[in-house]
Amino acid sequence: MRKIGVIYSGNESHYRTFLEPKFNQYIKKLIYHPDFLETDIDDLDVLIVPSQLNHKLLLASVKKIQSFADKGGIVVAFGPQPWSWLPAQQWEERPTNFWWWLEKDASSGLVLQQPKHPLFNGYLTLADCTWHQHGVFWPPENADILISTEDGGAVLYIDTTSTGGTWIITTLDPDFHFGSYFMPATERFFEGFFPYLAYGKIS
Amino acid sequence: MSDSISILKLDPGHAFGVNGRMQKDTGNESKIIDQYDFAYANLENVDVILIPNFIDQEFLYSQREKIAAFLEEKKIVVYCGHLFREWLPGCGPFMPQLIRSYKDYEVFPNADSSIFQGVTTEDMTFKKGVAGFFARGYHHAPEDAKILLTFSNGKAVTYVDRSTTNGTILVHAGRDLLGYANENKSTDLIRPQFLAWLEAEVQSLKECTVQ
Repeated sequence: MRKIGVIYSGNESHYRTFLEPKFNQYIKKLIYHPDFLETDIDDLDVLIVPSQLNHKLLLASVKKIQSFADKGGIVVAFGPQPWSWLPAQQWEERPTNFWWWLEKDASSGLVLQQPKHPLFNGYLTLADCTWHQHGVFWPPENADILISTEDGGAVLYIDTTSTGGTWIITTLDPDFHFGSYFMPATERFFEGFFPYLAYGKIS
Repeated sequence: MSDSISILKLDPGHAFGVNGRMQKDTGNESKIIDQYDFAYANLENVDVILIPNFIDQEFLYSQREKIAAFLEEKKIVVYCGHLFREWLPGCGPFMPQLIRSYKDYEVFPNADSSIFQGVTTEDMTFKKGVAGFFARGYHHAPEDAKILLTFSNGKAVTYVDRSTTNGTILVHAGRDLLGYANENKSTDLIRPQFLAWLEAEVQSLKECTVQ
């Protein structure tokens, strides 16, 4: 099992999400964000950087996160990214349609680009990744886009070329939604995603 | 900032706060500081501290004596969120509402609540037809607390506690009450009525001090 670390903001949604026993059992190290720079993360294989972190602490943490990736680590980033810190980041903020499922001929607008990818074989379905999104990324050319919008914007992609490590980057923010008791699909997302991070073929 | 009262709002510094994606505080009544600067903030001339969701509650727990001391000075603390650390006097931990149908999300104002006067259950419960944005749980309120808003099962979504400390504590198990504006529905009343309530409460506490 890969050793997974999570940066913990101390906010209410991260408290619920990352202390939920069925998810917490996959977490070797829950790192309170103000303590992140003093915490040894060299023993980790995976570092999860949740959504909605305090931006001053996040930007102060970037060098250490990038260094972790450069040593071959896997970094997971959730949610909207209004501050530029990801490799070759191109984030496009978009309006959120959270009521799409009430419309006639309802469509989430999500497209599964790589159904044969290991993430979608035994771990997640597109339905497990479907609630709403707050924008898209336009990733580097060599990145693998696993889920996109209908116009090709990346909702979940894996970048193994920009740095020495692997970056799993998604606009989805299940850490916020599960933790705030909203959007049931987010629970199914983590039920598949934590085992994938622990055991799955990443790239 | 408000001319008549001094409000200090703690900013979690999160992504949704950048553009008001979740809740947009359209006014400038509050002085806003980064949450971690609260440790150094001089509260002498502050009447109200507003603490929104997304706040670092581990940090607030480390500041609980400063918060309690502020309240002992007959001041006001407003907390909007889901409490999981005991940093706020009298407030029990957040409990999620048991949801079996959308009706379990319905919230009902008490008749004498000035903050929610004229605000309808439907407008609070639904946003673009989706239920659950407004509140998804409740806190255990102190025995003498005044309950302003409840679910149909009577659980307190919003309460005011004037007994636990010398000051006033308002707890709302949802989002920043100053963020309800410009949606062309009755929830737009919450923001101005909440500000009016704050002004009246500050005045009342000050008069109480004079006596």
